[in-house]
Amino acid sequence: MGVGNPDETAVAFDGNWREFLPIALTNFGLTLVTLGFYRFWATTRERQYFWSRTRFIDDYFEWTGKGIELFKAFIAVLVLFGLPFIALQFVMQGLLMQNQGGAFFGLVLLLYLFWFYLAGIAMYRALRYRLSKTYWHGIHGGSDEPGWAYGWSFIWKNVVAYLCMALLFPWSMTALWKERWEHMSFGPHKFESEPQWSSLMGRYIIAYVSPFIAIFGAMILMIPMIIASAGSPGEEPPAAMMGAIVVVVILAIYVLMPLLALIFYSAYMREVISTLRLSTLEFYFGARTKDWIKLFLGNVGLYLLAGAVAAIPIGALGLFSVFTNLEPGHSPFGDNPVGYIGFLILLVIPFGLVTPFVRYRGWAFYIRHMEVGGIIDLATLTQSPTRELKQGEGLLDALDLGAM
Amino acid sequence: MTRVWHYDGTSAIRHQCLFEAEGDGFRLRGEGGGDAHYRFADIAYGGELGGKPFYTLNAQKGWRIGFEDAPPPDVAASLPVPEKYGRVIDRFGIGPASAVFLALSAAFVFVAIKAPDWLAPAVPMSWEKKLGDAMIGDMGGRLCHGPGSDAALKSMARRLDPKGTPIDIQIANIGMVNAVALPGGRIVIFRGLLQEAKSPDELAGVLGHEMGHVRNRDVMGALMRQLGLSVVLGGASGSTSQAGDYVNVLVSSTYSREAEARADAHAIRLMREASVSAKDTAGFFARLAEVEKKLDKNGRALLGYMSSHPLSESREKAFKQSLVKDKTYTPVITPKEWMAILDSCRDDPKVEKDDGFLF
Repeated sequence: MGVGNPDETAVAFDGNWREFLPIALTNFGLTLVTLGFYRFWATTRERQYFWSRTRFIDDYFEWTGKGIELFKAFIAVLVLFGLPFIALQFVMQGLLMQNQGGAFFGLVLLLYLFWFYLAGIAMYRALRYRLSKTYWHGIHGGSDEPGWAYGWSFIWKNVVAYLCMALLFPWSMTALWKERWEHMSFGPHKFESEPQWSSLMGRYIIAYVSPFIAIFGAMILMIPMIIASAGSPGEEPPAAMMGAIVVVVILAIYVLMPLLALIFYSAYMREVISTLRLSTLEFYFGARTKDWIKLFLGNVGLYLLAGAVAAIPIGALGLFSVFTNLEPGHSPFGDNPVGYIGFLILLVIPFGLVTPFVRYRGWAFYIRHMEVGGIIDLATLTQSPTRELKQGEGLLDALDLGAM
Repeated sequence: MTRVWHYDGTSAIRHQCLFEAEGDGFRLRGEGGGDAHYRFADIAYGGELGGKPFYTLNAQKGWRIGFEDAPPPDVAASLPVPEKYGRVIDRFGIGPASAVFLALSAAFVFVAIKAPDWLAPAVPMSWEKKLGDAMIGDMGGRLCHGPGSDAALKSMARRLDPKGTPIDIQIANIGMVNAVALPGGRIVIFRGLLQEAKSPDELAGVLGHEMGHVRNRDVMGALMRQLGLSVVLGGASGSTSQAGDYVNVLVSSTYSREAEARADAHAIRLMREASVSAKDTAGFFARLAEVEKKLDKNGRALLGYMSSHPLSESREKAFKQSLVKDKTYTPVITPKEWMAILDSCRDDPKVEKDDGFLF
């Protein structure tokens, strides 16, 4: 039994920002008055909106996650990892003070390794939680695989990719994507993923080699300057030329490098999503580099707007001058705590209001460029045998990996 | 008869049923509707799909119904109310709930700021001592023990504070101009400060100030505050540079202005009771004040004592004003003892060199 209209796109986002605005506003207000505690419920309300306005074939998605689940997971991570970590810092500091440098660096290495392991697991479990809370036609997804093995795979694949002069990251990224998704299912069906990393290598090599070419180019540019200054010792190279080089270097770091990374990343996302299958359904993702650039420029625009909105009252109230005590180890606001709190509030309000819209744009972007082909048989799409999870993505939250 | 769509939660098939109210609940007529009687009390508001509300059945995962058109008023009245902000907030309304949250938050912040000062005195000194030993140890062998220097320090401490439990005072072979109170009631004077000091009485004032921090349990309070901050600000986000931060906090301890003033008052009282003149200490602050005038804030941060203590000018005044006319003051220790302290690092062959590693 197939559903849907062949003339219509199979996935679409029907939300609009006027509808989303009251959600963002109340979320922000409640988060503020609860000192951040409401954010778990805020996240849930946001997702409920995104999901419920995302049409897949003939019906909308449903987000069944609860704020309390995210909150519980956060507390669990805080108790299980946060507190021991803080205690460990005292131990590490003691080692340092007692000239136990070897033990100190050994412990640091071990901690990083552990953190890396947790990072892999966190990404896996966030995907699992999200699928388990996503319903469509009364059916949900998920996985019964807890992800401990994935954590090890995450470590060794990244280490191998790095050891091969960092050339194998397209391989590790696609292999890990495949591993993650092939553990996931929706209803009775397992996801299948066949991304080809070789097709990504061209763009990766460009991104990889360009910095070296840039450094080499900069060195060649320096030659006439060095000759000039060698010819007349004691004379500084012309300031204009130095300025030009500084501008070029800054542009290279802040524009060229992210751009190159984006060129690779857009191809990566197209490859991994377009090779994803669920039973008879085939996914497709078509966002090109220029689409990503537009997305990011729009987001930057939103943040700039927030900055401008914040700057006006802060400037008008003369709050830029509250930072009179910028020494390390000192509270920068010691002389004027009230001014500092005012400064923070004026800064937090516009940025706190803009970030939900950045997430909104991100969600709309993914859905807009997504397409699904194939016919789904509703009678065989039966309820998922996987367990519904009672705890949210606390680890991801705590490790601050949500942005990924 | 009201038309509803229905998912039964076992397959993805979308059933079209007729909703038939019956007693305290309803039946779903038509293919896939089953023959069960559902009670209104057993269904819950599920959210929205494409902007329209739907309902779930508590006992069956994936079970959903939604009305194709607006339900008749009597049915609508029996349906669960939509959840908006969260169960608790919905019950009280967003306005009153926000007001309560705001009040609770304000109370929480107040308690969090004050708690270290309330709790620190309750921590047994023996615990604090253990913590201090674990954190600092012997400062990596950097503590100087020259001939007679420990006895001289002890004699200075006893003269200043004859009644209290003895406070452990050490000299560290570190060039920074500073003196700090460490967890466990220990005071460490850095070699750099001794090189700056022109007389034992100058040192006595600085020492008396740090003794004040020890007696008032300011160190434990500062430590708790830092720990609390690192929890609140998410210091556990994987940064290992934090260990260094704790050292920094100890060296440039950020005590509140009130704590600093209390420590100064403590020093002044000790000196007055011991008949040690505060004149030289005032002179020390006067010299620092001169330097402060020349330096901008960032420059001052490089110099230990000035960055971790209040501005010197007002402190100079406070110490100067404590002098009583015509009172006889005697030097805090003998010149011989003073020399032993000054040369303690030079005359200790075993002490670690100042390698600038930590500070």
